[in-house]
Amino acid sequence: MREPTVNPGADADAAGDVGGDAVREHTPAVVFDRASIAYGRVPVLEDVDGVVRAGHTVALVGPNGGGKSTMIKAMLGLVPVVRGSIQVLGRTPVRARRDVAYVPQADTLDPEFPVSVGQVVLMGRYRRVGWVRRPGGADRRIAAEALAAVGLAHRVSDRFGTLSGGQRQRVLLARAMTQQPKLLLLDEPFNGVDAVSQEALLSALAGLRAGGATVVVSTHDLSLAHLACDDVCLLNRHQFGFGPTGATLTSERLRAAYGGAALELRGDSVIVAHS
Amino acid sequence: MLNRLFVEPFALPFMQRALVEMLLLGMLAGVVGVFVVLRRLAFLSDALTHTIFPGVVIGYLVAQEPGVVPGALVFAVLSAVLFTMFAANRRVSQDAALAILLTSFFALGVVLVSRQRSYTADLTAFLFGHVLTVDSAEITQTGAVAGAVAVALFALRKELLLRAFDPQAAQAMGYRVELLDLILNLVIALVVVAAVKAVGTLLVIALLVVPAAAARLLSDRLAVMTGVAVTLGMAGGWLGLAASYEASVHHGVRLASGATVVLALVVLYVLALGVGPFARLLWSRARGRLPPGTTEAAETAEAAGAPAAVDAGERLVARLAPDVLKLEEHGR
Repeated sequence: MREPTVNPGADADAAGDVGGDAVREHTPAVVFDRASIAYGRVPVLEDVDGVVRAGHTVALVGPNGGGKSTMIKAMLGLVPVVRGSIQVLGRTPVRARRDVAYVPQADTLDPEFPVSVGQVVLMGRYRRVGWVRRPGGADRRIAAEALAAVGLAHRVSDRFGTLSGGQRQRVLLARAMTQQPKLLLLDEPFNGVDAVSQEALLSALAGLRAGGATVVVSTHDLSLAHLACDDVCLLNRHQFGFGPTGATLTSERLRAAYGGAALELRGDSVIVAHS
Repeated sequence: MLNRLFVEPFALPFMQRALVEMLLLGMLAGVVGVFVVLRRLAFLSDALTHTIFPGVVIGYLVAQEPGVVPGALVFAVLSAVLFTMFAANRRVSQDAALAILLTSFFALGVVLVSRQRSYTADLTAFLFGHVLTVDSAEITQTGAVAGAVAVALFALRKELLLRAFDPQAAQAMGYRVELLDLILNLVIALVVVAAVKAVGTLLVIALLVVPAAAARLLSDRLAVMTGVAVTLGMAGGWLGLAASYEASVHHGVRLASGATVVLALVVLYVLALGVGPFARLLWSRARGRLPPGTTEAAETAEAAGAPAAVDAGERLVARLAPDVLKLEEHGR
């Protein structure tokens, strides 16, 4: 096994630009092998099969309730895989948790909770700080850098709940960045986010990508998938396509995945009405 | 006058012991109460106070007074484990499970105690406590519990904070959330057991929830909240004992000391409800927040809103004091 690296991009950088892709091919970030996921007896997502290549940014696209969040939780080992398997960084999802960071939807958190923005970002360091000890100067520096990277350094001592939805989402991304993950999972980070925050999120994600981190992001925004992602996994209860964005998001597949909500414009383009 | 009210009563040895016990409990319950309020575990804590009741009774039947704490401890651990298991089980609705455990255990306790000849007297003592008769051994027990709880909470404060704020992220980071929950439930159970002799099973919940809920009204900072909760818990104990002594000795009105302490805590809570908005205003001024009128300040006011009702009791007080809430909006 490799040494844990401080810089998420160190592995890819060491391999150099020319041979980089070849090296990455050998160590995929996530491998889905005909995986089915179920809560209790009810299957939520069936037969997911594909590879998230290291260093790539992958969009999970599909209608609401189609299993995007479930797939993210499966990569964290929070929901059981009932058939097939999911390998994360060459390990089981549960064993890979230390190298994976998760960005939940900000509106799932209690805005009244008495915790400051700085404290939330620092939480990403807790696992590395370990039990009993306090986060040290180095941890605080990493947290401050992450908060600056999402453009919210000036709000460090404000209460988390006083920020707007988009700003809270950026704080949660900063928290994930302090974990210095090899794999970053984001659940609908652009939902209900204003333009300023969307811009800040995208630029922070671009920074992570440049550093070599693998990013998986669920979204129902197809233009974002085209704009910011190398690959796409199209989901609605089961997989409708998994591969390079342009080749995967065809009008046939979108119609199949979205059903009546997909409207054809002309030729190949399809827009998806809000379902 | 102040001397007569607040110092004189504690010249008597039994009042001294009661004071020491209440100060220890106030400190202990203040620290733990902060987590109870943050995790919204008021109902769970209340359930714990009832589920240890059969333990108290069985302990008493087996070994009289010295059996009470060990008996309560056994049932406290049993309840904490059962609650954690129910919470981890998706198929069981947690509030229904709590209600079933609470009532069945409590009924078991009542059935057992009703076989006693001195039924009513015993029941009253268990339910309402008798802080004026605590001895130094019991004070030592409370002190030991306070020490153990302080060590546990200090060691796990980061993890408990993360779990309270964002349980899913905690789990995703690889923390065992059920284990953290079990530890906090055990800590709450320990506090309940430590306080049973002094204030009885019914009033422990007030010690745990009221000072921390009041502290929540006064501060957004966890560290400040903890300090305020401890101070209020101890102040409530002192005030309550002093008031019940004054009324009994100088005015011939017998006030149950445990219940008077609880009423003193509620008075402090209502004061905090009135003072809260001003304290927050001063606090944010001191930290140089943006002046009101900017969009960010408007966002702040909207997000903060009226203080969240932490439990039914707090909601009740909020309903009883709408003017105070209006005042808060005005203050912002």
